[in-house]
Formats: sequence, structure tokens, C-alpha cells
Amino acid sequence: MKRILLGTLFTAVSINAMAQAPGGPDCGWGNMLFEGQRGTPAHFLASTTNGTSGNATFGMTSGTNGCSTNAALTYGGKSWFAMNGMMNELSEDMAKGQGEALTTYAVVLGVAPEDRAHFAAVTHQHFQDIFKTADITAEDVHNNTLAVLKSDARLAKYATPA
Amino acid sequence: MLKRLAYLALCACAPLHAAPSMDESRLQALAADPYWIALGHYETGKLGGWRSYVDDDRFFLAQDGAHHPDRELAATLEALYAPASKGDQHAQCVYPARTRWLREQLQLSDLPSPDCAEYKRWFEDVSPHSAVLIFPAAYLNSPSSMFGHTLLRIDQADVQSNETALLSYAVNFGAYIEGNDNSILYAWKGLMGGYPGLFAFVPYQEKLSEYRSLENRDLWEYRLNLTPEETGRMVEHIWELKQIRFDYFFFDENCSYRLLELLQVARPSLDLTSHFPLTAIPTDTVKAVKKAGLVERVDYRPSRERELLARAEPLDKAEQQQVLAVAADTGKLQSPEFTALPKPRQALVQDAAYRLERYRATGQERDADQARRSFELLRAINRNPPPPLEIERPGLPEDGHESRTWQLGVGTREDRAFAEYGLRMAYHDLNDNAYGFPLGAQIEILQLKLRQYEGNDWQVQRLDLATIRSLTPRNDLLKPWSWQVSGGLERVPGKHDDEVLVSHVNGGAGGTWKLGDDMLGFALGTVRVEHHNDFAQFIAPAAGFNTGVLWRNGLGNLSVEAKGDYFTNGEVRRSLSLNQQWELSDSLGLRLSAKREFSQLATAQNEVMLELKWYNY
Repeated sequence: MKRILLGTLFTAVSINAMAQAPGGPDCGWGNMLFEGQRGTPAHFLASTTNGTSGNATFGMTSGTNGCSTNAALTYGGKSWFAMNGMMNELSEDMAKGQGEALTTYAVVLGVAPEDRAHFAAVTHQHFQDIFKTADITAEDVHNNTLAVLKSDARLAKYATPA
Repeated sequence: MLKRLAYLALCACAPLHAAPSMDESRLQALAADPYWIALGHYETGKLGGWRSYVDDDRFFLAQDGAHHPDRELAATLEALYAPASKGDQHAQCVYPARTRWLREQLQLSDLPSPDCAEYKRWFEDVSPHSAVLIFPAAYLNSPSSMFGHTLLRIDQADVQSNETALLSYAVNFGAYIEGNDNSILYAWKGLMGGYPGLFAFVPYQEKLSEYRSLENRDLWEYRLNLTPEETGRMVEHIWELKQIRFDYFFFDENCSYRLLELLQVARPSLDLTSHFPLTAIPTDTVKAVKKAGLVERVDYRPSRERELLARAEPLDKAEQQQVLAVAADTGKLQSPEFTALPKPRQALVQDAAYRLERYRATGQERDADQARRSFELLRAINRNPPPPLEIERPGLPEDGHESRTWQLGVGTREDRAFAEYGLRMAYHDLNDNAYGFPLGAQIEILQLKLRQYEGNDWQVQRLDLATIRSLTPRNDLLKPWSWQVSGGLERVPGKHDDEVLVSHVNGGAGGTWKLGDDMLGFALGTVRVEHHNDFAQFIAPAAGFNTGVLWRNGLGNLSVEAKGDYFTNGEVRRSLSLNQQWELSDSLGLRLSAKREFSQLATAQNEVMLELKWYNY
């Protein structure tokens, strides 16, 4: 999976569907930690009419943050791209060693249920290796996570998804 | 030869690509089937016949399909037999729910099989298995949110066992705002139907941060007992509504109504929408869904603000000061004041400080300094993590009292007895039955009170267009403003000790403080403009105050208030009032009100009233 991503990243100009590869202009891939929240209701009473401005999205594109992905999907059609929108929650959960975003992260990485508690403990312990700086991006968080998993005997198998 | 070929081609094609001929009565019967009516979002028109809530030609295959379910059905049937080569544009790909239903009803075994690649990919991405009704509850400081909103979450098969609701999609129906209308125009158009309504399909995670962080609303999740098949049927139909414009009116054709329609598509035996003749309020949606036996279980997600307050709650004054200090400057994590705290207390302070920082960052652009502070706090939390936050689940919002209220009162004003009859269209005041509502929030829309004095002497006592009060307590960490506005007609003291009906608009702002567990004290400065027949000016302005105490006690809510209005023309009007609610049952309350009014124009007047309130619908 990683290889595919890197491959597409370094492809110069592409005329096929991969043009919208991770990192592309329409793609939210690589959100920085503590990114400002999107979707601020700009209008008074926005909560009253429950308005949406901009294009009314209809799944798919937004599920991968605008990145079209042909990469292998790890979990029920959801890739770990989905974590891109949960960076703040993930950092908080990992710092504390538990939480919904951390569980979700384990699931999209393909960690089996019996290994999830261990995954939470290991990533908690290595929080500072995974979230190295305040302006780290989701992509680096993912790479750092894989590095941490590799060094753990029980979790190493999840570091190189097929 | 050519002729023969053409003839052959005709023979070959005709049976392949023609819809089965159907006699008129069968077609009419099918077109009147509630399921077909639901798929087309038809309602019976005001002048008989049908009309569809869908306001978009692209949704209909027949020219006049919006008004003729039968013609739409015939056109759909024909389109289903179009050549499979149309691919994603084929009616079977555009209308999967219609296709399924007609196929089942008419046993269409000879349909062409277009490759609906786009639809299939989307459906797989969603992988519907079960559905959850989401209700973001009211937020105290934003009374307009009291009317709430409902959306649906579509879960994949293993969401519950894996706890991966964050990966689910949410189906949201809302007004679609184009261009850059200013706020006033926006509000007006939104209410009056100036914007079309559209379904959107967005990651649930996005909606969560929108409601829990940006708007600070608690979320209620009602897991529905829809089967995977029923959920799939609903999602098929949602695909048909992609980018399709509906009429949108705030009061009835809103999110609640649309979601109920979807549930009826999921489970045809349900009848939810016919109970919503006038206005659909989101809590009513929840009630209707619950009543229909659809709810399997209820989950609660507190807002970020509530989490912050809950985390800070056990901290004493000095520790709360530490929260502020550490949040402002993470260097203070090394200060002697902080390190002197026992480790478990440090963990709480750090966590509260982190939450406060993130709370303040909400809705702001990313700020490098703030990000660095948050990160430092996270590192500290990582070294000394706090225990998980336990937040007690508040009362279920749908079990709060009904919205429409009938009122019957008897009382005396000075030495005259009266009866008072009132109706309020919506929603809740400071003293009303409290279950499911936050203390200190009031929003009332359209209230009329008529009074009948002895001797069959009738008068309009008051007509409130809207009354909103938002009394949110301030504390060391959060310092929200309290505010109120109201406008309408009301009786005030006039010359000759008369009660004069005046029209008025007034508002105020100030602060509220927590005096005890269930007690709030508030003080607001107010302004008022009034048209009063006894005044020389047509419109008289006043400035004043409004202060009081609100106490939730064993009987119900008690409020004691003092008010003063100092008019520029010299009139000074003050009042003292007391209201105690006695909550008799879910739908009944008894209220004792006592008031003493002072005015330059009249002698002081006393009024006492006992009022029965019936929260009816």
C-alpha cells in the first residue's frame, strides 16, 4: 500500500485517474495536527436551518478526504485516509492510551481484535515517537506508527499490510 | 433484402427492449401503492391530485411526473428497459430503489443488465448494515438550536463490535446555501423556503466535530432495529436523491420530515409521516420513531464543552487557577505551584488545560503557538494520563415535556378576580417542567393569553411573538454572556390604575453564576422600546435591569426576579415576581405566580395567580 502511494506521489504528470493522487490539490491528505476546524457555520442561524454551503457532498470523495485512491483498502472499504480527519482526536487518545479514535485507528490498520489492547498500550508508550512535533502531518503519523509497530514482535505483522 | 433485415431487427429488438404492456388498472393500482408514493415523495395536493416535495425536474422521468405518480411509473418502467449500454446513466443505475420495487412487483425477469459501476462502488463504500438516528441536543447559549436537528448514520456490519462509528457516513438533509447572502437574508430565506433542501452524505466524524466541538451540543444516538435489508433499501433510495432539490421549509418540510420518509422507505409497514400535520420538531421525530418501536438502544456523546466542565468540576479554586496558568504557558508545568500538586491532581489539571486550549481553538484557524501549547500538554498527559472521564447521562431529550402548551389560570389582581386562558405554540420557559431541558434556557414562540375579569370583562393580556432567555453560568474557565430578547404585546400599569396594552421590544445582556448545585443567580442590564398610549411620545425608550435567582427544587423550578425600566420620559416601572412550578406529571404542571408592580402612573398593584399548564402536543 505504501509503495503504491509513494509510486503515485513521484509520478510526474499523469493523465489517468491517479492524477488525483494523495497530496493532490483536491485531496485533504496530510492534514497537520491541530488543523483548524472546517465547516465553521459562517452564518447566523446556521444551526437552525442546518444549512450546508458549498457542494453537497455525497460520500466517497469526502470519505477519503477528496483523495481518489486505488490503493488497497484495509477495512470495509475504508482506508486509513479516514484518519486524516481525526488527527486531533487520535493524538489525544494516543496520549491517554485509550479512546474511540485510537480503536478506529487500530481497526483501519487491520489490527485484530485480540491485539487492539496491546496496540493501544504500545502506541501510548511510543506517543512521542509517533507524534514527534506539533506540526506533524497525518502522513508522517502513519509512517511513524508503522515504524513503531515493526519494532514490536506482536504487532510487526500489521506494519506491512498486503 | 434490406427490408427483410430491418424487419428481422425489429422482431429481435422489440421483445427485448420494450416494457411489458400493463393494463391500465394494474398500473393505477401500483402507482397508488404507498411505497411508490413514498419513493416519489408525493403528497396529496391542496386541490386534489398529487404533488411531489421534490422540486427538481431531473428526478422525474415523465414530463409531468411531479404531479402524476402513474405517468412517472409508466415512464420508469419503460426506462428500465433501455439498452444496457447506457451504463451509469441507465435508469436502473440512477433509480436502484424504484428498480428493485418494480422488479419485485411485476416479476421483471427480462430486464437488461447495465453495469452500474459508479453506483456499485458507492454502495460498497457505504456497505449499509444498520442505521442510527442522531439527535444533536439543544445548546443553552444558542436557543435556536433548541429546535434541534436530526440526521441518520449508516453503519457497516461490524461497527458495534469494532467501535468504528467514526468511519460511518451520516445522511443529512438541510438547506443548500448558495452564494454570499448576508446573515439576515440567510435567516429569512432559510425560514421561508428560499433555499432548496438537499441530502448530503458525509463522514459521521465531520458531523460529530461540527456539533460536539463547534456548536457544543450533546449528541444522542438512537440505534434503530432496521434489518440489513431494510437499511440497504433506504440507502438505495438515498442514491436516487443525490443532488436532488427538495422544497425546504424550516417548520415542516425540514430534516425531520425527510428522515421519517426515508424510514418508511426502509420499512414500508411504518406510518410515521402522517402524524406530522403542522410542524415537525426534531424531538417529535425521535418520539415518533421511538413510539413505532424502532429504537434498540440509546447512546450519549457529551459535547466538548460539557467534557471540559466535567473535568474541571472536581478541581478546587487553586487548581482551576493552575488550569488557566498552564493553558496560557506550558512552561508553568514546571512551576513549584504545579509540581506541588499530587500526581493524580496534576493529571486532572493538565487534561482540563488541554481541553480548555482545544475549546478556545474551536472554529479558529490553526495557530502555531496554540498548537505548540496543545502539543506540550499532550506530552505531559502522555506521561501522566488522567482516568477516563465519566459523565452522567442527562435526561432523554425526547422525554421532556411536549411543546404546545394550554394554560388555564385563576387569580386576583388587587381585589378583582380573573380567569386566564393561554396557548403557547412552542416551547419552554424557565419554570416549565425541567426534565430533559437545561436549567436557565427559555425559548417561547407565539403565546397568547386572554383574561376574563369578573363581570365577563375580557381582555388580551399578552401576545408574545418570541421570548428567548439564555442564562449560562460563568466560572473560572468559561465566561459566556447571558442574554435575552422578547417582543410582543403586554399589559403594564397605566393611568387610573388601568392595565394598558403596550407593544414592546426589549433585550438584555449580563452574567449568570452558579450559586449552588441547582441554583443560578443572574444579573442583566436591559433596554426597551415601547409604544404606550399614556405616553406623549409615540415610542418611548427605557434602560433598566433584570436580576434574579433560579432554583431547581423538589417541586419544580422556582424563580424570583426583580426588574426595573427607567424611561427617558420619567416613568419608572419596577416589579418583583415569584414563580414556582409544581410538576404534577410529564404533561401537567401547576404554577403559582405572585407579582407586585410599581409605576409612577399608578399605585402599586399585587397579583396572584394559580395556573395549570398542559403540555399537549
